[in-house]
Amino acid sequence: MKELKKFSAVRSFSHIYVEEEVKDHPLTLEILSKFPKAVKIQINHYKEVFCRPKQNFAVQEMSKKLILAAKKGRVIYSGPEVCQDFGNKNFYYTSPALNCIYSCDYCYLKGMYPSANLVIFVNIEDYFKEVENLLKQRPVYLSLSYDTDLLAMERIVPLVSRWIAYVRGKEDLTIEIRTKSANYSALSHLPPAGNVILAWTLSPSEVIERYERKTPPLELRLENIKRAIDDGWKVRLCFDPVLYFENWHLFYDNLITRTFSVVSPEKINDASIGVFRIPRDYLKRMRKTFPFSEIIYYPYVEKDGIYTYPEKIKEEIIGYVHLLLRRYLPPEKIFII
Amino acid sequence: MFFIVTAFHAEAKPIIEYFGLKKVMKPCRFQVFVGESVALVESGLGIVASAAATSFLLTEFEAGAKDAVLNIGICGAKDSSFKKGDIILCHKIINHDTKRTFYPDIIVEHKMKEAVLETFSFPVNKEEYPCSIEGDVVDMEGAGFFETASFFLPPHKIHCLKVVYDHLDSEKVEPALVSELIRGKLPLIEQLMSSISSMNARVSEDLIEKESELLGIVSQNLKLSFTMTQQLKHLVRYYLARHRKLPEALRDFANVKVSSKNEGKVYFERIKEILRR
Repeated sequence: MKELKKFSAVRSFSHIYVEEEVKDHPLTLEILSKFPKAVKIQINHYKEVFCRPKQNFAVQEMSKKLILAAKKGRVIYSGPEVCQDFGNKNFYYTSPALNCIYSCDYCYLKGMYPSANLVIFVNIEDYFKEVENLLKQRPVYLSLSYDTDLLAMERIVPLVSRWIAYVRGKEDLTIEIRTKSANYSALSHLPPAGNVILAWTLSPSEVIERYERKTPPLELRLENIKRAIDDGWKVRLCFDPVLYFENWHLFYDNLITRTFSVVSPEKINDASIGVFRIPRDYLKRMRKTFPFSEIIYYPYVEKDGIYTYPEKIKEEIIGYVHLLLRRYLPPEKIFII
Repeated sequence: MFFIVTAFHAEAKPIIEYFGLKKVMKPCRFQVFVGESVALVESGLGIVASAAATSFLLTEFEAGAKDAVLNIGICGAKDSSFKKGDIILCHKIINHDTKRTFYPDIIVEHKMKEAVLETFSFPVNKEEYPCSIEGDVVDMEGAGFFETASFFLPPHKIHCLKVVYDHLDSEKVEPALVSELIRGKLPLIEQLMSSISSMNARVSEDLIEKESELLGIVSQNLKLSFTMTQQLKHLVRYYLARHRKLPEALRDFANVKVSSKNEGKVYFERIKEILRR
């Protein structure tokens, strides 16, 4: 063969796989209309594509594909122990999409899913039905955006807007939408809803540049947070995961000082602190796919199937970041996991 | 290495000439041709033959992480949107008999048309065949090839490349014309192969041979257990992620030989300290 040439990856979402069952769903049509040049491929079930054997997550990240599907069976789950419930008794989460348009080195999705491709479940009405059933039994606190970043995808599929429209006026239902995006403008036309919490994950600029590929810079996130607060939305700040690396003290100090120089502390709903933690099997898979990553190969310790920093380091991180946050927030507004 | 599976010699011939492949003179069920970075097998007609030849080729040459496999051959197109001589990169492959479907990952840019390939176990004539044909193009090998190749390689390293020969109207297959049509598309095929190789090179590789060798020596000399050796490898990767190259101090441990496991543990603790820096 002749010499190696440079190659270009096909743009992401060059191919859209559509389940036969949802090909005429209004959300499917709306999404497809945004990608007129994409190759559309009909499939029977999203797992035919998403769960193929031997897929390479790192390779697929060069050109992610979109899969449009209907989620069957149960769609709302009890909140996992590794996640913060923020004092809510009935903590649930749901995954309207699988995977994310960003690519953070530490993201557990890289170990959880067999594929980097993005699945969007368009049957949002079935999600609403299940929430209705739960609400008949008890109030519900529901996290929407753990296994994806819904707000980052709002211009591809307006799921956040639909959820906000659905929860508006439902006093027994609170939803959290977690994001690293700078896409607040996709919601800014909506009146704020008191039972919707927009939760921004914040990291030092050094972390964003090194480990949070494709995500917006800190300044843009802060600007978005400020706009959301000024418009009357409830905003949560998530310092999670806090990473341990050279000079971390300094970088997190700068982050929190900068954050509260832009955002008024008294207007923050609450904040959370969590160190990097990941289930054993996910880390094992990530180590196979991404052989040289400072984050993935850190010598974590395992406790109850979860890998995290050694206790001493964990305590030091949490203690320090908590101290930084206490300069601005009362203790009842700071949640630690 | 690129592995290529063709059904007939007329399909293989232009590829053999283009890449300067030599016939492997070894008694075996399939005709195999090998060059510097390409190995080709002629499977014969049909799904099972293609599956058998694919399995043979990938096993015989011990296909691994750096390899890719292509099925190159002619096909029939269902309608006139595909012209005779068009080359198609198949993005979905259907086995007509089992209804199983296969999807290659199309990651690199290419200059081919894309379509759905449906593999039948019998020749299809559009006029005579009573049921609907789901694929855009039709062949008799692709699904067998793909399903088998999936046992060996990831979906971004398996592709079916089909050149349109007819429009399912039972046109007589002329070997010379088959070779000519495929020969004309080889520069495009080579471009795709080159892009796949470049993509391969960009994906982070694990420890290189030299590093693995050094770790093997250290592990053996210090009488490290399997778990400790794994820990050592993890710490080396952690170190490499931060410093790009191994610490010189680690090489010194290759010259140390311990007489007991306990002694080895003492050295291991020192290595861990170095690699965590």
